[in-house]
Formats: sequence, structure tokens, C-alpha cells
Amino acid sequence: MKKHRTLLAVVAGLALVMAACAEEQQAGGGGGQAEAPGPGELVTIEGGEDMSGVFIPKATDNPVFDQANDGAVEAAEELGAEPASFEGPPSAEDIEGQIQIMTNAVTQGVDAVMISNNAAEQIEPAAQQAQDAGITVVSWDSPIPSGADAGESLFVAQVDFDETGEVMADMALDLLGEEGGEFAILSATPDAANQNAWIEDMEAALEDPKYENLELVDTVYGNDDPEDSYDQALALVDQYPDLQLIMAPTTVGIAAAAEAMQDEDLCGQVLVSGLGLPSDMVEFTLNGCAPEFALWSFTDLGYLTYYATYGIATGQVQAVEGAQFEAGRLGEYTIEPDPTRDNGLRIVMGPFTVYTEENVEEG
Amino acid sequence: MPEWARRWGWELLLAGILIGVLILNVSLSPFYLGVQNVINTFQLSIEKVIVAVIMAFVIVNGEIDLSVASVMAFSASVLAALHAAGAPFGLAVGAALLTGAIAGLFQGFFVARMGLPSLTVTLAGLIGFRGAARILVEDQSIGDFPEWFDRLGQDPLVGRLSFGLLLFLVGIVVAGIILHRTPFGRSLYVIGDNSEVARFSGINVARTKLIVMTSSGFVAGLAGVLFAARLGSVRGDLGQGFELDIITMVLLGGVSIFGGSGTMVGVGLSILIVLNIRNGLGLARFAITTQTGVIGVLLILSVLVPNLVSRFARRRHRGPGPAPPSGGRTTDQGGDLRGREHESQQATVE
Amino acid sequence: MSRIGPGSSERVGGSRRRRLGLQPERMRELSLLAIIVVAVLAFSLVFENALSGRFFNRVTTSVAITAVLAAGQTVVIITRNIDLSVGSIVGVTAYLTGEYLGDHPDAGLFLAIGVAVLIGGALGLVNGALVAYGRVPAIIVTLGTLAIYRTWLIEHANSQNITADTLPQWLDELPRASVLSFGEFDIRLTFAVAVLVVVVLQIALGRLRWGRWLYAVGSNPDAARQAGLPAQPLTLVAFVVSGALAGLAGFMFLERFGTITVFAGSGLELASVAAAVVGGVSVLGGSGTVFGAMLGAVLIALLDQSLLRTPQVSEFWRDAILGALILAGVAADFLVGKRLRRRWAESRRSLSLGATSERGAVTDA
Repeated sequence: MKKHRTLLAVVAGLALVMAACAEEQQAGGGGGQAEAPGPGELVTIEGGEDMSGVFIPKATDNPVFDQANDGAVEAAEELGAEPASFEGPPSAEDIEGQIQIMTNAVTQGVDAVMISNNAAEQIEPAAQQAQDAGITVVSWDSPIPSGADAGESLFVAQVDFDETGEVMADMALDLLGEEGGEFAILSATPDAANQNAWIEDMEAALEDPKYENLELVDTVYGNDDPEDSYDQALALVDQYPDLQLIMAPTTVGIAAAAEAMQDEDLCGQVLVSGLGLPSDMVEFTLNGCAPEFALWSFTDLGYLTYYATYGIATGQVQAVEGAQFEAGRLGEYTIEPDPTRDNGLRIVMGPFTVYTEENVEEG
Repeated sequence: MPEWARRWGWELLLAGILIGVLILNVSLSPFYLGVQNVINTFQLSIEKVIVAVIMAFVIVNGEIDLSVASVMAFSASVLAALHAAGAPFGLAVGAALLTGAIAGLFQGFFVARMGLPSLTVTLAGLIGFRGAARILVEDQSIGDFPEWFDRLGQDPLVGRLSFGLLLFLVGIVVAGIILHRTPFGRSLYVIGDNSEVARFSGINVARTKLIVMTSSGFVAGLAGVLFAARLGSVRGDLGQGFELDIITMVLLGGVSIFGGSGTMVGVGLSILIVLNIRNGLGLARFAITTQTGVIGVLLILSVLVPNLVSRFARRRHRGPGPAPPSGGRTTDQGGDLRGREHESQQATVE
Repeated sequence: MSRIGPGSSERVGGSRRRRLGLQPERMRELSLLAIIVVAVLAFSLVFENALSGRFFNRVTTSVAITAVLAAGQTVVIITRNIDLSVGSIVGVTAYLTGEYLGDHPDAGLFLAIGVAVLIGGALGLVNGALVAYGRVPAIIVTLGTLAIYRTWLIEHANSQNITADTLPQWLDELPRASVLSFGEFDIRLTFAVAVLVVVVLQIALGRLRWGRWLYAVGSNPDAARQAGLPAQPLTLVAFVVSGALAGLAGFMFLERFGTITVFAGSGLELASVAAAVVGGVSVLGGSGTVFGAMLGAVLIALLDQSLLRTPQVSEFWRDAILGALILAGVAADFLVGKRLRRRWAESRRSLSLGATSERGAVTDA
């Protein structure tokens, strides 16, 4: 049984490599896998087979990843599979931890690894090793940069990364109004791939004339550490007397910045926005320090990741461009090339939920 | 107690712990026994264990080097920045190794020539060299190294052993010989035990310290280059936080933090223990923080239990009161917590 | 961490420091103070607001937590030990106190501080007992408990953060509370508490009998024991003080940041050691003052905060410059201090013969 699944995974992997190399896959009879329909046919992912997996968050210190795991467990139960083992490094700066867990997964001979990559390119040798051993590697939340060239079958994107930039720009516009003003970005670590992608996208989005009055004055890094983020937020305020908004696309940064503004009685003067966890932000949204922020559902992200991974690992879904499948309660998805990477495939979950005082307490 | 048992008491204890860990690991996970897993165990932490070997020299010498992880990042960043700027790759590697040595020499100057405490100097180095790495690579991840370089870091070179692993195995043997069988090694113990005495007995204390600190920087730089090869790319946060893991390995190996005692055999055993705890518990799906916690408990118990046992034994056999140092290599000297230095000092400086 | 042995402890403990809190340390503090003033003036040329009340408030509030930790660290280092577990103690107390306040919203300020200090003190007691009575070197004990306390917190927290909205309203207002204001210059409550801690400890260490005993134990353990000083209880007390102050710092952390993750406070152990050693506390034990450690903390925070606000220094240059400035500051302080001490020692050489009997007098007192 186990051997069979491994074989399927190898075949799925082979199919992926072939898809990556040539367009001829489009014809549909992919990889010698009789029961896996080609692109264009909608597959409803069904349970019945078991799948052993490891679900790797960026770090175990952030509650959003527990929510993602809750979603993955929910999906596993629906599919009648054993829930994946939830193992992650203690902090997002610990790239060694992810590499260790990935390597151990190969030794343990699991069927699938689902990873929110914190190690950028540095995970790639280990991910490649995993795929070589017949393991289905799916990334979520933060992708493996070289995608298919480094053993990744699919990236489950929370939102369209281009959309993130636009959502942040829209929130800034909403908060500052037509007359606009100065704002700054408070990011996590300088090495966080998704942060950097979002910031780049936001800078691109700002080119649009409708944002012409928004002026991005600086980008600083709080290293996803509350203390650093707090100090950085106050330093921004001191350095730019006309600053009106701090945009923090990180759950740690946004909470620390809001706390700093509240502590210094600056809430009316400098607003805080970005990507935040509703439970962290309730107070600041209600008292006006951070009136508006956005996030997606991490529970759904984990749920979708598990479904997609299960589909690929059990051979029901081919990880090729154009493949369509239905993932339980979340509905239909189509695999497409990832525009943010040279050789990666993705599905996009979406959408953002924008939180304001109206809905923050439900979040 | 026979002389050999007294002399090697600490190492025997570590060997016992290691056997316990191995037995536990075999019973915890069916995947533990396997050649590839043994290789992985080393390969995943190869840079740490290589630096731990030189750290043993530094601590025996009575100093400490908190900057090693930052020096790793600095030298790897020099490699990456030069490579990205189009320099010949061999030159980039050479410059990276030189960077490590210069960083060590720089800190060694403040410690050996100016007499500043190494804790202070290398604490500044911990911050500063990390910053130097950041200047070079900023927020990028620099990779695309030549094929042979990546392969050197990732693939087996001889049999199933990678280059890094071979380097470690040869390195620890050579280090053991230098530390225990050469006049230079013995002078480290004398300086570590009492630098005044060392000076009076004609040892060039400043020069020796300079050599040790420079070597520490060089080996850290080498480890940084190996890290770049193993992971295929360099970021500014490379190796962050490694220093405490490395120091833990050395201290668990029985090297006294106050200098002047410890053996390379102990350090080797301690490395095996730490790596196997991480690997075994990892395979049995214990969280990484739990692994760290277990190592913390072990670190304390490994000194505490022998202390309590020897005190208890002494009370029973000889009654209360002052007693000569006995097998546990502990001192019975209340507030002065020098650890286990008397015995091995005798063992090595005779 | 230079070595310590009977010979060198004689050197450290013998001629140089016999009476406690004396001239060399005053010199050290003065030279550090001068470096701080020079740094402020230098930075006032670089960025606009360096002399403003606002910047003063920023530095003083950001230094409060490290200053309290450095004070505790100093007490431990004076006894020739070290406490690397303080970062984890801060995390545990911040988290548990936050949890307590979430469950007991009616608990007041003093009860909350009491809870934090008690928890911190208990964790310090564990460290101290292992060091003093288990005879395990302090660095081994506290490297171990650094990991153990943190692991326990992670298991306990089960990935739940303490969030600002679960905390009582009065805690939100605490960071803004000022004791005194001179125009734009506030003395914030947190900074005032830190200063109070430093002053009390400084006086206690210098004037109280047990305070001087702590120095004696650290500067020459063998002599201290022969003189009949209670070395073990003193070591225990030092760790309890450090733990309790880390608990207080944990409360300050909670009050300042509101949101507490399981990794709250990690890295503060190195910050506290850095503040102490920059402040002239000798890692060889037996010398250094709490006030010096506070100045060390101020210098580091000042450099850090100033660099954050210096437009010419890009984000990526900050750490390199900070490291270089710390090294330069320590080296300058060391060289100046050495010269002054030598002069002082020469002028007092004639008196140094009385060293032993004087220590005897201290212990008899």
C-alpha cells in the first residue's frame, strides 16, 4: 500500500517535471497516470486513501499558523486521512529548523510535506531531496523560490501577491483620503520573501495615478520582534514629522506599531494599517489607532493546502497548468503558472477580508 | 577509584549518557538506525560542530568567542558579494576565508594586546560583524554559485561522507593532538588556568591568545563558506543564534567556562549527544523547542548529579568536613564555582 | 570571560579593591558619563531632535527594561557568576502576569507587580539553588534554564498570544504615565521605577553589610569563606534578586508591548550582559556598580536609538556601526579608566598593606 502511494507520488513528480519542461503536456494524457484526468477536467477530490504528511509552519510562535493547522486537520478528517504532523521551528528566523524537519520527513518516508517556507532558497536542496524520495512537496503562505526546479509541486497562495500591494495601497488611500500624505512601511525581516514581494507590489501599485498623493517615505524592518518593531515605529514618527500612516504587512509589526502609537498618544496623528490578526488588533481598531487592516483566513489556507496536497499525493490531481479540482467546502480551483516566479505553479485562495470596527470582533 | 577512572570520569559519564540516548532513540523511532540518517545527523549541523572544535580551544584558553555566528555570516557574505560582483569564484572563496581570519585577528588584538575582556569584545563583534554582513547582502538572498561548490556542500565526496563531514572528522583528531600532545596545546591550559603563572613560566600569553582568537575567526569563516555551499545561497541572517548552541556543546563536553580544563574527547562525545538528541527526538516528532529544553536539562543534570553523588558518597565514607577532590571532578568550594578544573589541570600540565 | 583562579583572584581581590564602591569605580562612571554626553552632542549635529524632550523620552523609556535587567545581572556578576536565563524569565513572567490579569481584571497595579516579581524570584531561586547548593557553574545552570523556562512557556501557552484587549484598561495607560515633567522632558513612570531600582540597589550594595559581602564573595571566594562569610546563601540571594528584577522587567514588558508571544524577551539576556560589561562591571566578579551598568544600558540605548534616527545611516548599516561604537566606547573607557586607576593605585600604594586586616574588619562587622 505504502509502496503504491510512493509510486504514485513519484509519477506525479515526474509528471510535474515533464510539464515544466514542455508544453506538450497540454494534450492531456499526463505521466502515464490513467486515473488522473488532464487539464480542463474538473476533479472532485475524494477521500478513502490514507496520506501521511508533515505540515510545516514558518514558526510555531505565531497563532495564525495554528489556525492554518486547524484547517488542515479539518480537511484530513473530511478525507478520512490521518492528520499531518504539525512541526515547525520555534521562530521564523530559524531556517535550520525547517531544513531539519524536511530532512527528517525524508527519513520517515512520509507521503507529503506542506511547508510555509521561511528559508527562501536555502530550503531548496532539502526540498529537492524530498521530491527525489517520492514525497509530494506543496508550499503555502510563502513559496519555494525556484518552484518546480527545487522539488515543489504547487504553491497554495493565500491571495494574489499582486493584489496584496493593491489592497495595502487602497487601505492607505482610504485612511489618508484624496489629499494623501506621507506614509512608511514597517516590514518583518529584510529576508522575508513574501514581505519583500508585497512591498515591491505595493510600490508598483503606487504608480497608478489614483494614488499619486500617497508618498512612501521609508521602509524599515522590525524583524518580527515586538521590541524592534515598536522602536522602529517611534523612530519613523520622529524622523518624519509629517508622517500620517505606518503600513505594516506583518502581524507582529502592526500590533507593535499600534501599541507604540497608543503609548505615545499619537493615535489621531499617525494611523497604523497593514496585515494583522483580528484578535491582536481588536482594541486598536476600536480605539482608532488602527482603524482598518486586512488579512485572509489562515484556517481556509490550511484546509485548501491539505486538499490540494492530498489530491496530488493520491494521484487524483496532476500538478500541471490548467488542472482543475474541487476542494471540499472551498469550491473550485485551477492550477496556473505563478507570475511571481520563473518556474512555479500556484493556486490562489483569496480573497482578503478587510477588517474595520464593524467586523473586527467577529474575526 | 582507579587512576584512569578518575582521570576520564567526565568522559565516561558522557559515554554513558550517549549510550542512553542511542538506546532511547532506537526505541523511539524505527527510522533512526540507518547510515543515511547518521550522515544527515551530522550534515544538518556540520558548521556548528566544526566551530565547536575551535571554541573548545578558546574556552580552554580562558576566553570566549560570542561572535562566531556573526563572523560566519560576514565571511559568507563576502563570498556572496564578490561572486555577485563577478569576481572569480576561487578568489571569492579565498577572500571569505581571509575575512574570517582578519575578523578573529581584529578581536584578538583587543583581547590579547589591550587586555579587554573577550566577552565584551566579542559581544560587540556579535553585533558588528552581523551588521557587516547586512551591509554586503542587504535584503537579498545571493546564490547561483558554481555547480561544483554546491555539490561540495551537499553531496558525498568519499563514500557517503560529505566534504564538511570529512573536514570535521579530520579536524577534531588534529585538534585533539594539538591540544593534548603539543607544547602549544599545553600552554593553552596553563594560560587558561592562570595567565600570571603562564607569563612567569615564559609563555608568550598575548601571542598565544592572538593565535587562538584568529584561528577561531578563521574556522568560523570556513564554516560560513561551508554553510553557503550546503544551502546554496547566502542571506544576512545566516547562522543567527548559533553561538549559544556551540558554547553549550563545548561546556557539556566538560570544558570549564573559566578555562584551563577539558578534553577534546569530551567535546566529541558531547557533540554526539547533542546531535543525536536533536535527531532522535526530531524523528519521533518532538518539537524543536522540546529538543532544546531536553538539552538544557541534560546540561544541568550532567554536572549536578555527579556533584550530589560524590557529596553523598563522601559523607558516608568519610564523614562531614573538608575532603580532597574526588572522582566527580568537582570542587567542594561553596561560593567559588569554578567547576571541574583541578584534576585535569594536573593531568595535562605535569 | 577571562579565567579565574586562586592566583588571579588574589590579584583582583587583593590590592585593587579593598573598600567597596570606591574611587576607581567613580572614575569609571564619570568616564562613561562623559562618553554619553559626547555621544549626545555628536548626534545632535547629525539629526535634528537629539536634544529634544521627545528624544529624551524615547531613550529613557526604551532603556528602562534593560536597565532593570542589567541591575540584576550586575548583582549576579559581582558574585563571579552570570545569569543568562533572564530573557526567558522576562518571557515567562510577562506571559503569566498577562494571563493572571486576563483572569483577574480587578487586580490592581501592585498585585500585578507582586505576581510578576514573585514568579521571577521563584525562577531565580531555582537558578540560585542549583548554583549555590548544587555547585553547578552558573553559566551551565542558566544556559540550561534559558532553554528550559522558554520550553515550558511554549508548552504552557499552546501557541496562544496574550493580546492587548484581554488586559485591563489601566495597563494601557501606564506607559504614558509620568512622574515629573519639565516642559517636553518627562520622567516616565517606567523610567522612574528603573532609576529607583538602581538607586536602592546601589545604596544597598555599597552600604549594607550583605551588599559588601557580595563583593567580597566575588572578589575572593576562598578568602571570603575563610573569613566565615555565608557564601552559599549570598549566591542564592544574588540569583533571587536577579530573577525578581527580571520579573519586574517582565511586567514592564507586558505593560509596554501589550501583545505577548511565547518568545517575548528572548535576546534580553545578552542585552543585559552587554549593558553590565559596557558599564564596567568586571566579569571576573567583585567589581562594578549597578549605577555603572545603568550607564552602560543608557549608552547602548542612546546609540541604538540615535542610529535609528540618523537619516544618513541606512537600515543595513545600523548594526555594524552600533557594534563598532560599542567597541570604541568600551576601549576608550577601558584606556581612560586604566590610566586613572593606575594613578589612584600609586597614590594609595602605601595603604594597601592593610588590605587583609581591613577585609577581616568588614566581615567581623
